[in-house]
Amino acid sequence: MMLFYFQRLVEIFPFFLKGLWMTAAVSGISLIMATIIGLLLGIARASENKLLVRLIGAYVAVIRGTPFVVQIFIIFFILPEWGIQLEAFPAALLSLTILGTAFICEIVAGGIKAVPRGQWEAASSSGLNLYQQLRYVIVPQSLQTILPPLVGQYVLLIKDSSVVSVIGVMDLTRVGWVTVNRIPEGLMVFSLVGLLYFAISYPLIRLSNRLEKKMATQQVML
Amino acid sequence: MIKFNGVNKWFGKLHVLRDIDLHVTSGEVVVVCGPSGSGKSTLIRCINRLEKFQKGELFVDGTPLHDHSTNLTKLRAEIGFVFQQFHLYPHMTALQNVTLAPINVRKMKRADAEKLGREKLARVGLADKADAHPTQLSGGQQQRVAIARGLAMSPKIMLFDEPTSALDPEMIGEVLDVMVKLASEGMTMCVVTHEMGFARQVAHRVIFMDEGSLVESGNPHDFFANPKTDRAAQFISKILTH
Repeated sequence: MMLFYFQRLVEIFPFFLKGLWMTAAVSGISLIMATIIGLLLGIARASENKLLVRLIGAYVAVIRGTPFVVQIFIIFFILPEWGIQLEAFPAALLSLTILGTAFICEIVAGGIKAVPRGQWEAASSSGLNLYQQLRYVIVPQSLQTILPPLVGQYVLLIKDSSVVSVIGVMDLTRVGWVTVNRIPEGLMVFSLVGLLYFAISYPLIRLSNRLEKKMATQQVML
Repeated sequence: MIKFNGVNKWFGKLHVLRDIDLHVTSGEVVVVCGPSGSGKSTLIRCINRLEKFQKGELFVDGTPLHDHSTNLTKLRAEIGFVFQQFHLYPHMTALQNVTLAPINVRKMKRADAEKLGREKLARVGLADKADAHPTQLSGGQQQRVAIARGLAMSPKIMLFDEPTSALDPEMIGEVLDVMVKLASEGMTMCVVTHEMGFARQVAHRVIFMDEGSLVESGNPHDFFANPKTDRAAQFISKILTH
């Protein structure tokens, strides 16, 4: 019987690949958006504008203090009440982006604050405007602090993306659920699901570790 | 060139600058000295508005710094600032440190900026260090790169905030030599320093500060030989004996 199910599983493997693709698409797109917005918000959060710092701080606190599955339900079920209709896919992108942005902006703010004040003073003294100070002096130096935890955060967000299955996005996790209804070998099915997640996460974990080592040696050189 | 009119500054409750009146003319070299905590660094940091002040007027090259609508970016491009801790950009080579502002602020072509940058590095005696990173340079060399970085913008004023205080004694001379040369070329300079040899050699005027006030101001010869105030006399005897 096991063998029979295994053969069935091999037959429907393309279905899993579709789920994998959906997981990669949902998390990939939202990670890119979260990185861009998180960079901007992180810079603002490291600034001296108290209002901005507090507003972003409140946003981060709310997102970190509530479960992602609740956030995604709120976006999926509450927005229509206000007349905003979102399909499952854009709703998933939106909620993952909001989640990712909160974590990434904290990482970016930490990295920017780690750059010594003298670097800002030197850059502004030579007549660079704020954008140029950030672009050429501050951000390049803060990347050392930012990159390793950023890649680590990507791994967490890719795994968190499995929650989008609850609103009907046919991602890897939902493919698992659907398959289990036809092939009642839960262990086998979800081992495959786990393996496929691991296939994306593991290279990133390796990358994060390597970056950490590389940055540590650069740090020593500085 | 630089005109302080009754400038006052507080850090919270601490009154760090008290009624500063000071006029520095074009081409003048002014040395600011005084015990630590006397407000001398704060004073020159006001000149390019690294520090804000709460009361009084300050004009730099005709630009009012007490006016909050003043375009600081534009003003700062005309003023070179050399820090005690150099603050070179550690992720760039010496040449990149020097050319960053000319390329981005003056909008020079990279090739022109690099030519200019090499000239300025040669001027501080570091022509052969253009491709070195700050970590590969000694303190004295780093400070000279920092001076070249300031000069690359062809500033109207150069400000030095204790430029030799973070250096090993054997490296102080090489930095002072560059500054002496600069002074002899007619650069307007304000220098916070305890290097009294430098003050004697090139300063047109020495200013003595204590507890946020400008206590005494005079030509170096008179200042060192006949200080008018007890506080200045005490200060001079301390730095000369140590």
